[in-house]
Amino acid sequence: MELQLGLALPSVPLSKGFDLNSCGYEAKEVLGGFDSILDCNVEKSSEEKKRSFDEAFDVQSVQVPETLPLLVWNQQTEHNYPENSSSSITRSDEEEEEDGIIGWPPIKYQRKKLCHGSLIRDANCWTVGNGESGGGGDGGHSRRSNSTYVKVKMEGVTIARKVDLSLHHSYQTLTHTLVGMFGRCQEDVKAYKLTYQDNDGDWLLAGDVPWGTFIRSVQRLNVLNNGG
Amino acid sequence: YLSNTSTLSTKMAKSFPEEVLEHVFSFITSDSDRNAVSLVCKSWYEIERWCRKRVFVGNCYAVSPRILTRRFPEVRSVEIKGKPHFADFNLVPEGWGGCVYPWISAMAGAYPWLEEIRLKRMVVSDEALELISTSFCNFKVLVLSSCEGFSTDGLASIAANCRELRVLDLRESEVDDLSGHWLSHFPDTWTSLVSLNIACLGSEVSFSALERLVARSPNLRTLRLNRAVSLEKLHNLLCRAPQLVEFGTGAYSSELRPDVFSNLAGAFSGCKQLKGLSGFWDVVPAYLPAIYLTCSGLTSLNLSYATIQSPDLVKLVSQCHNLQRLWVLDYIEDIGLDALAASCKHLQELRVFPSDPYVVDPNVSLTERGLVAVSEGCPKLQSVLYFCRQMSNAALVAIARNRPNLVCFRLCIIEPRAPDYLTLEPLDAGFGAIVEHCKELRRLSLSGLLTDRVFEYIGTRGRKLEMLSIAFAGESDLGLHHVLSGCESLRKLEIRDCPFGDKALLANAAKLETMRSLWMSSCSVSFGACKLLGQKLPRLNVEVIDERGSPDSRPESCPVEKLYIYRTVAGPRVDMPPFVWTIDEDAALRV
Repeated sequence: MELQLGLALPSVPLSKGFDLNSCGYEAKEVLGGFDSILDCNVEKSSEEKKRSFDEAFDVQSVQVPETLPLLVWNQQTEHNYPENSSSSITRSDEEEEEDGIIGWPPIKYQRKKLCHGSLIRDANCWTVGNGESGGGGDGGHSRRSNSTYVKVKMEGVTIARKVDLSLHHSYQTLTHTLVGMFGRCQEDVKAYKLTYQDNDGDWLLAGDVPWGTFIRSVQRLNVLNNGG
Repeated sequence: YLSNTSTLSTKMAKSFPEEVLEHVFSFITSDSDRNAVSLVCKSWYEIERWCRKRVFVGNCYAVSPRILTRRFPEVRSVEIKGKPHFADFNLVPEGWGGCVYPWISAMAGAYPWLEEIRLKRMVVSDEALELISTSFCNFKVLVLSSCEGFSTDGLASIAANCRELRVLDLRESEVDDLSGHWLSHFPDTWTSLVSLNIACLGSEVSFSALERLVARSPNLRTLRLNRAVSLEKLHNLLCRAPQLVEFGTGAYSSELRPDVFSNLAGAFSGCKQLKGLSGFWDVVPAYLPAIYLTCSGLTSLNLSYATIQSPDLVKLVSQCHNLQRLWVLDYIEDIGLDALAASCKHLQELRVFPSDPYVVDPNVSLTERGLVAVSEGCPKLQSVLYFCRQMSNAALVAIARNRPNLVCFRLCIIEPRAPDYLTLEPLDAGFGAIVEHCKELRRLSLSGLLTDRVFEYIGTRGRKLEMLSIAFAGESDLGLHHVLSGCESLRKLEIRDCPFGDKALLANAAKLETMRSLWMSSCSVSFGACKLLGQKLPRLNVEVIDERGSPDSRPESCPVEKLYIYRTVAGPRVDMPPFVWTIDEDAALRV
């Protein structure tokens, strides 16, 4: 590890062939170059704003702050072996899965537990009304208002996933998707069985109740090997 | 003052022996000052690195354990942060990373005299806890803030093996609660415990074990119990620890019994040094008067789990004339905030949490008026977190004018993109006034209907802003461009559900190297742009987090789900889960 003895602030080392700090670059040049590299996905709203956007860039070169490296590192990466991870701790059963917009309003899960005594899904749902987009461009970023994510674990796999139940209407498509999500061959669907935890906390075999009943009561899913 | 001229530093290096410099440096405690000292000249760098005792790693992937231990061989105290802030709101998928084990493993070898470990949003396994407990004979302080991945078994190792333990603080961590017996693993002798916070634990700990532990911990100043500790037994603990300065109750409910009440009131009044109270789950209002005698001494009150109505809150709060920090639910309502403003002239920090965040219609009468009242009545107010359902530009302007000393302003209007409820306009002007008047503002969270204009105000006026949180705001890349091209002090930027795309990011790419991190989720940044950033800026890790499968399976113009960019000297991660991709210099996609 080397230290740069600097009288002034050390200059930023040039990245390979592309340096945004020196050469007095102008954002417009940068943009011009990028347009050809990328298939720019320009939204309608930003098209309308384009003139003022370009004007902003045309006036003066963008002031880019210099970075101040505290260390000058060499490029050899240090290889850290990943932790031999212990099994992931599943959250307590009281965790409420969110409907609607995930993570909104922004409150930590310990406070969410306070809000409703029961785990009635609909009551815990923050949904966006239709046609509510303010500002430009609906952007299509908010999740659909009835999306329903539940946590899924597969036997033998440490990392849990989440699946959007509203995209499914049958046990078959759900199981197919889950098998695929964990990287297993989807033709081997028969090698797995799906269980779920209902809102009484009981684990049941999926498929015994009608889909509608299942959807209203499922809290989380488990994909097990059908080993018999 | 520190000089940069080489002749002077050479002279100083020759004229002052190392021991003197080291002694001088020992008075320099702030990290930024220490970093500045290390840059003066080579010998100062060497002296400084050998005597640095405390290190703060704001992003565990910005530097590697090996780099840390090589540079600073004599560290006694380490603080490390892992996941990005939005992980608190379920936006970071499980398994993303932030495992502490490699750090503990490296430090076990390098720092046998390590005394303090503080972790935030990291994955801590029982193995890591056990390793901590057996590697550092002088270990004193363990703070696990919003961490997860461990169970009470890990806590048992800490309790059993850390003979010098002073602080065990589990603040808001997720613990796999196997049993309450871990507490019995503390040695039977006197302990050196100063602070014990187990408020996040779900299951019951053995009360007698707790009682005996408290009795043999004469230095205990902070004790925060969990919900499972019943109210009737509380006086037993308080009587054994009258020296407590901060206390967190368990569930604050019981059948109404006069003996329980008088025991409790007596025990509280015996704690003459009490400055902070918390806990208060399931409050039965009739028991609140038991703490009235402590109120005049209280500086910190956390009632954010107390589901009691405004009148009871007012009775309590209006006796706390020395209150500096209040966390409360919106049950306090505007009327309660009026009382707060009248009674608590020393208030510095206010957090108002939503009691019912998922319904559209307000369940309580808490509006912008309450916050305006507090801003008028509390001259020392500097930190605000406020959840409400309506806001106006006029109110924000009033708040800004009343309180130019605000340092942290986080407003969450519960409905995304809600306009000024009086004029139906965007809230640009209101937030603009905040950044205009509050010149010391370091942290800002926006909400409500906002156009690109608010970002122009923030970019130009938010000169000291270090952390900015944006959700459902803006109209185009111009908004993001304003922020990235301004905000000289910006360190952390987190954005969700905004129509920001490639242009602003690419045009201001160098800015990213001056920041700790950038988070963008549900925006319009294309995979192609991510690749370009990753390629051209090797000192950044550009992480694409996408649970839909490899970004290569979609066109490059397709927006990524989530993007986390941070500067690093450690190179690309090697512990990424399958849904995280990073791009190295060859633009090769790494999983």
